[in-house]
Amino acid sequence: MFDDIITKSKVKSPWLYHLNTGSCNGCDIELISILTPRYDVERFGIKLTGTPRQADIVVVTGPLTSQSKDRALKVLSQVPDPKVVVSLGSCPMSGNVFKGSYSIEAPLDRFVDVDVSVAGCPPKPEAIIDGIIKAIEILKDKRG
Amino acid sequence: MKFPYAGNALKDFFSKPSTERYPKVKKEAPKGYRGKISYDPEKCIACGMCIRVCSPGAITMTKGEKNDEGQLIEMKFNLNSCTFCQMCADFCPRGAIKLTTQYSMIATDKNELVVSGSFIKKIPPKPTVKTVQQSKAKTEASGSK
Repeated sequence: MFDDIITKSKVKSPWLYHLNTGSCNGCDIELISILTPRYDVERFGIKLTGTPRQADIVVVTGPLTSQSKDRALKVLSQVPDPKVVVSLGSCPMSGNVFKGSYSIEAPLDRFVDVDVSVAGCPPKPEAIIDGIIKAIEILKDKRG
Repeated sequence: MKFPYAGNALKDFFSKPSTERYPKVKKEAPKGYRGKISYDPEKCIACGMCIRVCSPGAITMTKGEKNDEGQLIEMKFNLNSCTFCQMCADFCPRGAIKLTTQYSMIATDKNELVVSGSFIKKIPPKPTVKTVQQSKAKTEASGSK
């Protein structure tokens, strides 16, 4: 009974971890703006966490540079299951204007399963909120 | 003693919160926002200018075999690698590409974010018999000289 309450309440308060893999800071700023009072994503119980070990949703930005690839995959493996990986912007999905470069390992879905992808360069904060709401639904399904 | 922000503090007690209630209250993007690409295959002439100016190489054109009717041409705009710079729309001579104000582009599958369209490019009509005869006459005349 106690576990049921915990799993139910866990769905209502997913913790978010922001992973930057060589992003230009555009998507990062838009992601930070949804935590500000204007868009206030804490209405959905979301809280930004500093450690991947407590995260439920991982938001990946950046084109996955060769320097950050091993570290990024290490961090993603530290996130406990069930987790939802959200790719933000064009870079983690395809490499954007950097694709074909010797130092870019994009797309991200070569290495991990990406559940939700938000297009845009950078996406509008409203679009990120839509993506995170979708991620919460997927998290609910994964928890059963 | 002074209370410099006492007026503001009192006002904020009765004012609404500044948070936008986004998913409940829908929000329009500002005019001129560069969002999802809309492509009109009726207007397209397959000149390939958009492919030339696209810096991330997000646009691809596939050409089919030539028939009597024409040639099937399919354009694909991959929004996964788009930078939304609007260069394709600016350079399109027929205005077939437009960037709409639709900003919400969420997908669980990557292929959902591909905008595509196809049309049949008509082959220019064959020259008439009269012109062929004229050209023959010209070649004979030049040969006799």
